[in-house]
Amino acid sequence: MKTQTITFNVFRFNAETDYLPYYKNYELEVGQDDLVLDILNRIKWEQDGTFSYRRSCRHGICGSCAIKVNDKPVLSCKVNVLELVEQFGTELTIDPQDKSRAIKDMVIDKKNFWEKYDAVKPYLIADVEEHPDKENIVSKDEAEQLLEADYCIQCGSCVYACSALGVNEDYLGPAAFAKAYRFNADVRDEAKIERLEIVDELGSGVWDCVKCNECAEACPKEVNPIEKITKLHNQLFAENVAAKNVASKHAVGFKHSMEKHGLLDEGELVRYSEGNLGVMKHIPEAITMFRKGKIVLPWNMPKSKNLDEVKKLIKSSSTVEEYKGSK
Amino acid sequence: MSLEIKKYDVVIVGAGLAGLAAARELQVAGKNVAVITKLHPLRSHSGAAQGGINAALSEEDSIELHEFDTVKGSDYLADQDAVNLMCSKAPETIRWAEHMGAAFSRTEQGTIAQRPFGGQSKPRACYAKDRTGLTLLQTIYEQMHRENVKVYDEWYCMDLLYEDGKVNGVVAYDIKSTQTAIFNAKAVMFATGGYGRAFSVNSNAHANTGDALSIVARHGLPLEDMEFVQFHPTGLAGSGVLISEAARGEGGRLYNSEGERFMERYAKEKMELAPRDVVSRAITTEIREGRGVGPNKDAVAIDLTHLGEEIIMERLPELRDLAITFLGQDMIKEPIHIAATAHYSMGGIPCNIDGQVQKSPTELVEGFYAAGECSCVSVHGANRLGANSVLEALFFGRHVGKAIARDVDGLGFKDATEQNAQKALAQLETLLTNNGSERVPELRNELQESMTFDAGVFRTRETLLRQKEKIAELKRRYKDIRIDDKSKVYNTDLQEAIELGHLIDFSSFIVEGALAREESRGAHYREDFPTRNDEKFLQHTFGYMKEDGSIELEYADVVLGKFEVKERTY
Repeated sequence: MKTQTITFNVFRFNAETDYLPYYKNYELEVGQDDLVLDILNRIKWEQDGTFSYRRSCRHGICGSCAIKVNDKPVLSCKVNVLELVEQFGTELTIDPQDKSRAIKDMVIDKKNFWEKYDAVKPYLIADVEEHPDKENIVSKDEAEQLLEADYCIQCGSCVYACSALGVNEDYLGPAAFAKAYRFNADVRDEAKIERLEIVDELGSGVWDCVKCNECAEACPKEVNPIEKITKLHNQLFAENVAAKNVASKHAVGFKHSMEKHGLLDEGELVRYSEGNLGVMKHIPEAITMFRKGKIVLPWNMPKSKNLDEVKKLIKSSSTVEEYKGSK
Repeated sequence: MSLEIKKYDVVIVGAGLAGLAAARELQVAGKNVAVITKLHPLRSHSGAAQGGINAALSEEDSIELHEFDTVKGSDYLADQDAVNLMCSKAPETIRWAEHMGAAFSRTEQGTIAQRPFGGQSKPRACYAKDRTGLTLLQTIYEQMHRENVKVYDEWYCMDLLYEDGKVNGVVAYDIKSTQTAIFNAKAVMFATGGYGRAFSVNSNAHANTGDALSIVARHGLPLEDMEFVQFHPTGLAGSGVLISEAARGEGGRLYNSEGERFMERYAKEKMELAPRDVVSRAITTEIREGRGVGPNKDAVAIDLTHLGEEIIMERLPELRDLAITFLGQDMIKEPIHIAATAHYSMGGIPCNIDGQVQKSPTELVEGFYAAGECSCVSVHGANRLGANSVLEALFFGRHVGKAIARDVDGLGFKDATEQNAQKALAQLETLLTNNGSERVPELRNELQESMTFDAGVFRTRETLLRQKEKIAELKRRYKDIRIDDKSKVYNTDLQEAIELGHLIDFSSFIVEGALAREESRGAHYREDFPTRNDEKFLQHTFGYMKEDGSIELEYADVVLGKFEVKERTY
């Protein structure tokens, strides 16, 4: 069988003995069927028994072996090495999901991951009938509403790829929100509002998603967490839970502007989100933006030629609703 | 270094379906319970179950039919009282899981959907797409978590506190720090899963090293029916990763290197849909006789291309994905390469119908319970039917949890001392400091390859005697191992060394049981004794490991019942 010589530049760190992490090179012959986990195993079993990583099922269902290769989130037992070589070349860098949380080589402390998971009440809330003689009737359509959110294997790939989490430790992140959605979309669950109140919090909640799509890219099971985050945004408005805050007002203001002009009125959006007083602090930026023609004075705001089309589009697709007397 | 002694009413080792279901029952009953697992509970191998979980839910099905299929499938070695209990409680068990949140696939009427499976007279396997185990594991974990059960994840259980016929806890260490502690309890339950990792080609997780079995055996307690290991016909070539029975169910055809549809010679009528043991033997025969395919000629081809892209994408998407990942073979375009893979462990820690562990065919150990794949109740006898394993784990896990809740207040609490951990501590010390010349991966490879070759799908007196000697050799060489990693932080080198010791010890039970069982029954096939011998072997094997490592066997009666023992034909 044809093989290729690949250099693996591997992150090494032992919290007990090393002051700083370092990289160690291992050269291996890689065959066409070799997966990243095969490489981790061969480094450990053939070259260096001290090399440590988590693994169990080896076929993509237990979620233990997620790491990063050249910064790309990878579930080791699902990704072919030569495909990575095609993308990155014959030198590959193997890192843990989050270097700052490393305990030993690929093994990281996932405490933060599980705390976020715990925060969204990650279980069906209903009275458990201990000895039922009938199941709940759930139509196929209702069952489909989970949108495969139940397929999440808690590997953490999305969480350790999330840009928002990178700058905001409080943010609950894509895996927790996918889990929150999984139960909120379940017709048997009775705690939707409680969960919505959790994900509505500024800082930790869904409003801090920056819509970079990294979570969807990172997910090895195609759970598409960002889609679930958007669905939670929708539920927040639909269930009147969205608190009137800068984030939700931003969403409403966006819609207003589009409805009125068919174009985005940046100046008005800021006023809408942050209020008349809040807008004052943005005056220096506003002047710069005005000079560059990025914003116009209210009376000069143009309208889209296709305003009618835009209005129709909003009507058929918008999920942002007016606050209906919520808090 | 002072050793912490943690005190609980009940300690459960293993956090798959069985362990978690029991833990929830105990917590709800107000008992002080802790779960120890070497993984995180959600990483447990129960989550890998694909096809389904059996229950006679529909009008045209019946509990009795489910019982009959199970007993017949077991080649009449299952204990019929246990089968009766499990099958009659199956509908309630599945609906209970549904009420707790399991995301079952649904019928047009909104009830739980069921699909046909091998050896079942009716469509009886309730399923959640092709990830039934995953939704069940998540659900039981979630509801246990909701009840705030204390879980020690990434802790490794090393030893059992067993004295004067009573179990008083376990010794375990925190994998993150190698810090050892005693978990002192009135009762202990083992639910650690199967032992498929003894074989080189297997469908099991790396974690399935049968730890509990060897821990039990080293105390002189028996293991039951260990020679019965199920080989699934369709594991991916090389890796052994499972391609579900659905591939044959949907019409997959098996071919050898000569392009011959060889099942015609082995099961003319049922062809590819013959039972697992029959198809596994056919595939292995083709390979042994030089008609294998692939670079190592160690596989046969299963062709699904005639189904077309639409059906494959609708019904077998996960399987297609696995074959692409592991072999680069797309079943839409070409046949994929498969071979028999060690899949399920019918044998295990003998226990009665309430999960109480047996000291002998007639005596029980006090304060010690087991459930799930590591146990042998026995509901699967010599061969398990598809979609009965998750049922066993979930039902018996819960049932045994209730039994412990009922018994535990009447069990004594014997205070442990640091002395109780000395054996485990000494073992750790030896492994960390031993400066021998043998390496763990090499010994493990030799064990797995020889077990597959000489104690696998086909066995004879000659191959088993050879394997017996091999195990004796490996035991000797194991004493001379050296591990690279001497650190106390997440030392997986150390863990793999302990696990290898377990693999070697329980493998000798498989070999001795198989050697003595001079008949062929279910998954156990002796080429030199190709027929079933009810007169002599309608019996459970009980094996005991002596001080010198040798195995002593005795036999126990099978609990028969309403189903008369007959020839097993399909």
